[in-house]
Amino acid sequence: MTGVDAGRGAPVLPAFPRPRARPRELGLLAGVGVALAVGSLSLGLYRTGRLELADPAGLALYAAGLLVAHLVLVLAGRRVDEILLPAAAFLGGVGLLLMQRLPQDLVVQEVGPWTLGLGGLQLLWLGVALLVATTVAVGLRSDRWLRLYKYTWAAAGLVLLALTFVFGSEVNGSRLTIEIGPVSGQPSELLKVILVVFFAAYLAENRVLLADARVRLLGPISVPPLPYLAPIAAMLALALGIVVIQRDLGAALLFYAVFLGLLFLATGRLIDVILGLLLFAVGFAALAALFPHVQDRIAVWLDPWADPLGSGYQLVQALHAFARGGLVGTGLGAGLPEVAGRLPIPAVHTDFPLAAIGEELGMVGVVAVLAAYLVIVERGLRIAASSRDDFRALLAAGLALVVGLQAAIIAGGNLKLIPLTGITLPFVSYGGSSLLANALVVGILLALSDRGPAPLRPPRPPRLGRLRRRGEASR
Amino acid sequence: MIARERPLAGRMLGLAIVVTLAFGGLAAGAGYWQVLRADELASSPTDAKVLAAAATVVRGRILDRDGRTLASSRRTADGTPYRIYADPALSHPVGYASSLYGASGLERAYAAELTGTGGGDSLSRLLAKFLPPADRRLDLQTSLSLAFQRLAVRLLGESRGAVVMLDPRTGEILAMASTPVFDASAVADPATARATFEQLRADASSPLLNRSTLGRYVPGSAFKIVTAIAGLGSGAVTAATTYPQQPPAEEDGLLVSGFRIRDGHHPFTGDRALDFYEATEVSCNIWYALTGLETGGGGLDAYARRLGFGGPIPFDLPTAASQLTNGGGPLPGGFEDDVELANASYGQGEVLATPLQMALVAATVANGGELMAPRLVTGFVDREGRRTPVGPASMGRVLDTASNVAIVEAMTRAVEGDYGRLFTAGAKVPGVLTAGKSGTAQLGGIGEPHSWFIGFAPADAPTVAIAVLVEQGGRGGERAAPLAGRMLRAYFAAQP
Repeated sequence: MTGVDAGRGAPVLPAFPRPRARPRELGLLAGVGVALAVGSLSLGLYRTGRLELADPAGLALYAAGLLVAHLVLVLAGRRVDEILLPAAAFLGGVGLLLMQRLPQDLVVQEVGPWTLGLGGLQLLWLGVALLVATTVAVGLRSDRWLRLYKYTWAAAGLVLLALTFVFGSEVNGSRLTIEIGPVSGQPSELLKVILVVFFAAYLAENRVLLADARVRLLGPISVPPLPYLAPIAAMLALALGIVVIQRDLGAALLFYAVFLGLLFLATGRLIDVILGLLLFAVGFAALAALFPHVQDRIAVWLDPWADPLGSGYQLVQALHAFARGGLVGTGLGAGLPEVAGRLPIPAVHTDFPLAAIGEELGMVGVVAVLAAYLVIVERGLRIAASSRDDFRALLAAGLALVVGLQAAIIAGGNLKLIPLTGITLPFVSYGGSSLLANALVVGILLALSDRGPAPLRPPRPPRLGRLRRRGEASR
Repeated sequence: MIARERPLAGRMLGLAIVVTLAFGGLAAGAGYWQVLRADELASSPTDAKVLAAAATVVRGRILDRDGRTLASSRRTADGTPYRIYADPALSHPVGYASSLYGASGLERAYAAELTGTGGGDSLSRLLAKFLPPADRRLDLQTSLSLAFQRLAVRLLGESRGAVVMLDPRTGEILAMASTPVFDASAVADPATARATFEQLRADASSPLLNRSTLGRYVPGSAFKIVTAIAGLGSGAVTAATTYPQQPPAEEDGLLVSGFRIRDGHHPFTGDRALDFYEATEVSCNIWYALTGLETGGGGLDAYARRLGFGGPIPFDLPTAASQLTNGGGPLPGGFEDDVELANASYGQGEVLATPLQMALVAATVANGGELMAPRLVTGFVDREGRRTPVGPASMGRVLDTASNVAIVEAMTRAVEGDYGRLFTAGAKVPGVLTAGKSGTAQLGGIGEPHSWFIGFAPADAPTVAIAVLVEQGGRGGERAAPLAGRMLRAYFAAQP
């Protein structure tokens, strides 16, 4: 129980929180560290022929960052989830290894006195991400300012998007990146967090109405009354519209899927989800009829081999990369030959990291990465299920879904299961915006999982301890 | 705060199950590409690793059936490897490998093996990861004979056409010629590649096209063997079947649904009703049209499919699909009406076939009714000289033995019989019982017909089958049959 929102003032925070050991988290982080060290050794061995770490300094810095984050959580003395951080750290570490392994001149930026390549920049962003995640986890003591200002958040999100029209620059045909002076970023990454906050707050407030006050639409099919749906539908339509105009189809799909998932959680009515899917199908068909670039995406998805050197090029190369990897992969560093001095998959660090993982770590690596996302979703839903009110439950579930579904959408696109869209693989893809937004997600989830400081002196449970403990947990 | 009901918790489980299933689907997708399709994609000629190797690696050699080198490599002054080929006659089956224009033929189909980037099964590739990198380049051993290949191209001469000669017992292709040929060495040599390739691409006679596997031609009467296989195989007709309406139809045509099918190129048979042997010997269109109608579109289609029609033939090189109809017609097999079916039964209508397909028709009859898969590659030889043979494979039995015997007899009479010789002059190999069927494919009155011959020898124990097509070469007996005869004579002269 947090201090601020407990208006009745019953629990008193100790002036200095008592540190609380987090053995599971430490153990899992150690496992992640060992896995990354083995990966780095493998990469180093392939590069130099000697058994050495590929980038010892980078790996040590990342490990140190993880340790510091762990210690901060220990010192904060709060009972927050111990699995989320290691799972995200594993994915971030795989991404770091990948960025260290790719040609460093893919992205080069001057940061202060240093000129950093791909690996260095990713490490820098991972550090900032860890800082954000731990700060939010420890510092976010109240959900009130998320809950109460939902329309402000929604407006802020829209302003953020509107900014991309003014300051946006076009990359690969999509107007995703915003540049103001030296700072550049992709607002749709942040927007996904803001939208989840808005959905959660709105649905928590109106969920009983949405579920029970139904208007008969057609026979047994009923929908919530229009006035209650209007704000949320408008918000969604606006966001989708802007995102579609920006040609960021992946984000549009992600927002919509998360929205449907939360709507189902809030109302418990499958019919809402089915109607939503139908609406989506109709809208998508209309989009496909209107925009040739949507048609192109679908055509490439259905048969990338129709134009293997043109529009289907990246996907065909990605599928070949998966195939070259096979079951156990070529080993880190041994895949991805450069053809005529170029990478076969130009967007490997942003849109296709899974193909690189598939090639060098094989199907085993792909499944491990997918499993890590599933762990994050499972933890998020678990936090949601044990939340003490609807807003926190919907927020936690929404954040878990946003990570899980984003991973599923881009992975499905890489594997030619669904049309390819240009969104990032959370925690793995190169890029500051993506890492920061996902760090924010982990931070908020950790804060939501907080079961307060450890009781000062846990009373010895009596023989009938089960009842007693349950009462405590839900106090 | 007292414990209260959490209605959301139950729905969380539902959501968790949906997300888990979605991720299961993703893992299955990874399995599909990384295990099921892995071998095929990773060794395909479009794979980045194969392409990268193609530019830098000295490819393995390509050898003919007698061990003669068909393709080998040289290096330019700056060390870049390039290919040279033994003879332009090989340009279609062997193809070219160019750093500028990619590859074709066997050079393309077996790029992974030749450059050492593929080959082996998944397990051996898995084990190889734990060993030091080995030179895994392979030499290709082919069934081609350089001598027959040269002869076929020389005999085709200035004509556009194709010759496919194979061993019907194993499916091994002995010669696969397509004219005009091109100089694959000039395409492969970086110094001459650009000029040569641009010129070839602009050439109206399409020298880069492998006519034997990708050219689709009206087969004319050579197709009657397919109708015979379907008619006898399905039991719709027997070798003794005669049609009373056939002799009068020789005069004024056979009326099918208001359309007259005409024949008239064997007046010497008078008003005798012909049986299967005689009809084949004199190439009677009326008998075959009636047999096609008797068999029905469905039966004809089913047997044609067994022979390889209706889709690409599985082969070392890309193949075009041979067809009976344009598809979409309301009758079984996709025929529009009985007129089309009757016309198709003697190889006109909408029937189109590749020379390879027609060679397989002859080979099937020659092999007692069982179709052997055609193939060019008979083995791989690694750097240490170890040979991994590629064995023959059956594509299934097309026809029962008894029916097949009758077709062999009919095709023998079409070459050896008193009347048959009039139609297939020159196909006969002296001293060897020869079987075959000529074809004269009418092109709707535009220019000379395509000249066809398919056949095999010795008719009593066939060891070689052949298909010859000469584009607009006139009657089958004038051009294709004597050409096939020269090829078969050379084949038997070379046998010990």
